[in-house]
Formats: sequence, C-alpha cells, structure tokens
Amino acid sequence: MIRQLRVPGPIADVEEVRVLQWHAAEGERVEADALVVELETHKAVVEVRAGRAAWLRRRLCAEGEWQVLGAPLALLSDDAAETLPEDAATAAEWPVAFEVI
Amino acid sequence: MPPEAPATRRFFREAIARALREEMRRDPSLLLLGQDIGAFGGPYRDFEGLLAEFGPARVRDTPVAEAAMVGLGVGAAAAGARTLVAITYMDFLMPALDPLVNYAAKLRFKTAGQLAAPVVVKTTAGAKGQGVAHSQCLEAWLMNVPGLAVVAPSSPGDAYGLLKTALRAPGPVVFVDHKRLFPMAGPVPDAEAAIPFGLAAIRRAGRDVTLATHGWMTHPTLAAAASLAEAGISAEVVELRSLAPLDIETLAASAARTGALVAVEEGQLPCGVGAEIAFRVRECVPALAVARVGARPVPVSSNPVLEAASLPDAPRIAAAARRLLRPSAGETA
Amino acid sequence: MSDAALLRTMLLCRAVEARLAARPDCGFQLFSAGEEAVAAGLCAVLGPGDQLLCSGRSIAPALARGLDPAAVVAELLGRTGGPCRGRAGRGHLAQPSAGFFGAHAVVAGNLSIAAGVALAFQAAARPGIVAVLFGDGAAGAGALHETLNIAALWQLPLLFVCSNNGWSISTPAAAHLAPARVADLARPFGIPAATVDGTDAPAVRDAAAALAAGIRAGGGPAFLEAVSVRLGPHSTSARESRTRADLAALAARDPIARLSAALGEALAAPLRAAADAAADAAFRTAEASPPATADELDDAA
Repeated sequence: MIRQLRVPGPIADVEEVRVLQWHAAEGERVEADALVVELETHKAVVEVRAGRAAWLRRRLCAEGEWQVLGAPLALLSDDAAETLPEDAATAAEWPVAFEVI
Repeated sequence: MPPEAPATRRFFREAIARALREEMRRDPSLLLLGQDIGAFGGPYRDFEGLLAEFGPARVRDTPVAEAAMVGLGVGAAAAGARTLVAITYMDFLMPALDPLVNYAAKLRFKTAGQLAAPVVVKTTAGAKGQGVAHSQCLEAWLMNVPGLAVVAPSSPGDAYGLLKTALRAPGPVVFVDHKRLFPMAGPVPDAEAAIPFGLAAIRRAGRDVTLATHGWMTHPTLAAAASLAEAGISAEVVELRSLAPLDIETLAASAARTGALVAVEEGQLPCGVGAEIAFRVRECVPALAVARVGARPVPVSSNPVLEAASLPDAPRIAAAARRLLRPSAGETA
Repeated sequence: MSDAALLRTMLLCRAVEARLAARPDCGFQLFSAGEEAVAAGLCAVLGPGDQLLCSGRSIAPALARGLDPAAVVAELLGRTGGPCRGRAGRGHLAQPSAGFFGAHAVVAGNLSIAAGVALAFQAAARPGIVAVLFGDGAAGAGALHETLNIAALWQLPLLFVCSNNGWSISTPAAAHLAPARVADLARPFGIPAATVDGTDAPAVRDAAAALAAGIRAGGGPAFLEAVSVRLGPHSTSARESRTRADLAALAARDPIARLSAALGEALAAPLRAAADAAADAAFRTAEASPPATADELDDAA
C-alpha cells in the first residue's frame, strides 16, 4: 500500500516549515519510531518519527525546501517493490509521531 | 525590492539576522546590546549566530534595564561607535524614552552638528496574546519627535532592506517589527540590497479606495482588499514601510486616483498614524473621503476573545471601506 | 596641577558667573558657586584623551575642562560663537573636541550616556577615561543603579563623580536619600568609592587622581562623592529655600575663600585680578559674536 508522509500538525503558531534534514534515503526501510526527517519552524525544530515501518520511496521535498502544514513530504510503501502511482495525492496518510524541540 | 531580483525564501528572523550579520561585517564599530541576544540568539532567534561570529564584546547581553540599555547605546553611538539596542517589547521602550527622545533625537541639533547618535532601537510591537503591557503599538508617539526616524516592515524582504538602511543612517532610528511577523517566511533578495526610508509600496493596485497601513496590519488589510474585490470594490493597498519620514507623495497620488482613503493601524486612533496621514493626504487631495480604523480605546487583554475584539481585522477594515464608499452599507460587518 | 592652578580655575568660574548673573540678559542659569572645587579638582586629573559629561550645572565644569571662556560665554548668551552656535546654552553646552562631551540638563540623564561613551572607548580600545559629574539629586534615580550595575559588569572606564551639595532644589538630602553617604551606593557593585570634602580643591584632585589611576590601570569604574555647598539658589528662577543664617554658615565653607586663605593673599590677589580680567575679556569677545537667529532652525530642519 502506498502512503504519504505529510507535514504533521497542528503546531502552535506555525503554518509553514522548511525541510532541515532527511534521515532516511530513498529506497531505505524505515522502522517504527525511527527518525525520518527534521523540519524547521520559525523558532524550533520538529522531529518526525515513523508511526509504523515502511519503505521510503520518493522524497517530494529536498532539504531547504518549504512546505505548509498538511502538505506531502514523501511517498512510502508497505512493500519495497510496489509501483508508485502517477498521482499519489489520494494515497493514505502514513502515521507519524512528532515532537517540537 | 524589484520583483525580478533573485530571491530566496527565508523566515522573518533570518532576514533580520542576515542584515545584522552583513552590517556587523561591514562596520567593525557596530555593537549590539539586548536582553538574551547572545548565546540564546534573541527571543525570536533573530540574533542567532552573531555571538559565535562576532564575540561577546560586540554582541552584549544586558540586564533588564531598558533605560540604561538605550542610554548606553546612544552614548556609544555619539562617541563614534554604531549601535543597535534590542528592546524585546515596544511597551518597554517607555522607560528608555528619556535617552532616545531627550538625548539622541536632539543631539545633532543641540550640539550644532558636533555630535550625532547613529543608534537603531529595534523593538517588537503588537498583540499576540501577551496582555495589556506587552501588546502596544506606540509608533505614533515616536512620529511626533523631530529627529527620530521610524520604520515598520511587514515582510522578511522589507525587514532586511530597511534594517540595512537603519544601520547606515546618520541619526537615531526606531525599527519596529511585530510579533506576528516572526512566524512568516518570504522572499529575501540574494544580492545585498538596502531599502531607502521614505518610500511607501503599493501592495495591491485598485481604483475605488486606498487602504493605507503599515507593519503587521498590512496582512489583514490585504485580506480585506481581497474580500472587497469579491463584492466588486477595487481597493488599492499602500504600505507605508517608513512612518518618519512619511511618503505622502505616493499616498496622495493613490488617493487622488481613488478619491477615498482608509487609514488602518493596530494602535490607538487619537493622534495616531491614521490621523496624521489622513490630514496630510487631504492637504494634497482636498475632496478626499477619509476614514480611520484602529484599536478600540481600551487596553489589549491577553484573553484571546478580548484581544481580538479590541483590534482591527480584515472584516472591520473592509466594513470601514464599504461605509466610506456607500455610507448606508457595511452596517452588518 | 598645582594648588595655585586650581585656584586660578575656580576664580575664573566665579568671575564668569558673577558677570553673567549681573546681566539683564542672563537667562535661565544654574550656577556652580560653592561647587567650583569639585569641577576644578576633577578636571585637574583629566587629560586631552578623556571626556567629561555633566549635569545642567555646567559652567564651572566647562571652564575647568579648559574650554575657551569666550566661547562658553557666547554659548550662554545665545551667540553663534558658542560651540553649539547658541542652541544649547548652559543646559546642553558641549565641545567634545575639547574633551567636554557635554552637559545634559535631565537630572540623572547623562549617567547612562556617559557609560555609553565609556563603552565606545572600551570597544575601540581607545585609551582615556570618561568622567560624569552629577548632583545628589540624581542619586535617587534608577538611572544611577542601572548604570552602576552595567559599568561594573562590563568594567567600563568610567568615573562617577557626585557633587553632593546636600540639596535637590529645596529638598535636603536627608529627605531624598536613604544612605548617609552617596558613595555607599557604589559599594555593593564592587566599585571603588571615596568620599571627599568637596570644598577642598586639592583634596578633590588627589582623591580623583587615585580613583582615575585605578580606572586607567584597567580596574573598571570608580565613584567619588564630593561633599560640596551650593552658595546660591538652585537656579536663577528658583526661590532660595534656606535661611540667611543657613547661607551665612555655608559662606564660611566657600571653597575659593578656603584655598585663597591656604595659599595666602599675596598669591591669591593677583590670581583674582587675572581672573576678573579674563572674564571681562571673555564677555567682550562673546558680545561681538552674532546672536543666533531663526535661520538656525531652517538649517536644523
């Protein structure tokens, strides 16, 4: 099953974030609770961790790029070889845990 | 900033920090004084990285002593340094008005040019849930003082460009940012660029009414213009950027085209920014219809319901424009 | 500076003020009569690379700092020959090129400014010290506490000098200051402090010299309290609040009479005559300077 990583929220006072650092490469398996990406807000860093294991297939935002809350950051799949659709906008949301530091 | 200039999206705080960093590198005499601006990087992270690059002699954490902070900044500036003093809340500029108004603003005049005070007082105005003594917009008080420049950006790009000019100005400048600007991001030119004082910017072109504003209120005013457009009213939004000096020429040209002016500010109306610009524009455009929008004459509570009720917002700005254009309209907004 | 030189300075201050007071166009003045020994003693230890700031009681400090008496008088009379072109008067008299950063007529208002000047010295690694002269009326203001704190924290090259004449206009020190000695205010900040008889010019000079030496050696700020007298009312427009008996008792503490007596009339009399002549010359030169006109404002705007 194809899943979307979206900018998590709500985060008080924040509408938009900048991708600070990816901690998983495309094609890499991400285990539950692993740190996937750090996002930068105007005054803090948001650590985003996997809610369940999956394969990171495609990053949609490079480090330094901006995205609003709720918008997609990456596509993942439950199995390593699943075909990514042309339009993944309707893909299910990948569950994450996040912490604002 | 010309729209074609290559730019990179930055947080508001990053635009401030970049202007400070560039000017610190350019002018070795520039000293920064403020509460929590050193290792902490400033309450809004707008001083981040400066201590590491320039050291504690040039980036100085101070005690909570606004009067002495500004006095020291002014005195050091008068004696050949250039200084920026950060006052975390504009409300706390009050204890520091003595050195700023009684000394810095008078210095060039009273010494017949022997001394001047190239000091920037950077402070943060406006309401964002912090209550009666941490929310005020006092720009109009400062516009009343000959010898002071007052500027108030609404975006990261303008904050960068106006702060650059402030840090090269010959006399005292009050640089007013706003708490609600810090969560914002926006384009900042990649090339070094300063924005001169005394230049207003037309943020949205329109035919029927001119909405004049500054600082954070630019954003609710633009939202009001968008909602007026849906109702068939074409509003032009002029952002002052610089309150002293004032660009009356740009405002008057806009008002002459539209025939109506709504002056919008977050602060109080009596003797306010709007009172001043409405009068001055009307001197140029005598038949002008004018209205003002500002805070209700009450303190700004930390209670979000009371805070919102006391301040202008997009619907109130739009309603004021509708009332001005069609006096019977706008009663329901 | 010799004791005779101190007396010469004090006599010039007194002679200039006496001539000014006698004029119908005297204007609003705060005279230093009784406090000349503080100005003279302090300025005796300041060099050309130092700066002095003071309150609005500025005539003796400016003259003691060595400003041209004719230029000082021109400024006091509103003439363009003054260093501030007659715009500033006594309250804001300044000539930084002569080491007189200037007067500021806001009580306690020059304290943090002086600390800022000292900060600029420190930041530029410039030799020299900054002295700020203020009255006991400023000692109850928060500005002193704030400035002492930062000056001590940052070890600024700043000499605080309080001319404690015992009166804040009509309010005696006992009614406006809790500490018996103003110098005690400096001690909690770890700032070296001394109290000296401010009517004894050589004693002021020697105490100031010791404290200034510590500052010049990198020891950070210091504080000198000079217990002085104010022989006349607070200002030319203020009513005298003290009795004739009080004033007679103060006159017995006149610092000029004291030093004259110590040096002897044979030495003092010619100095007095020279001071009178210098003051007369200063007024003649100043009167030849054109008065400021409203055009000054066009230039300023």
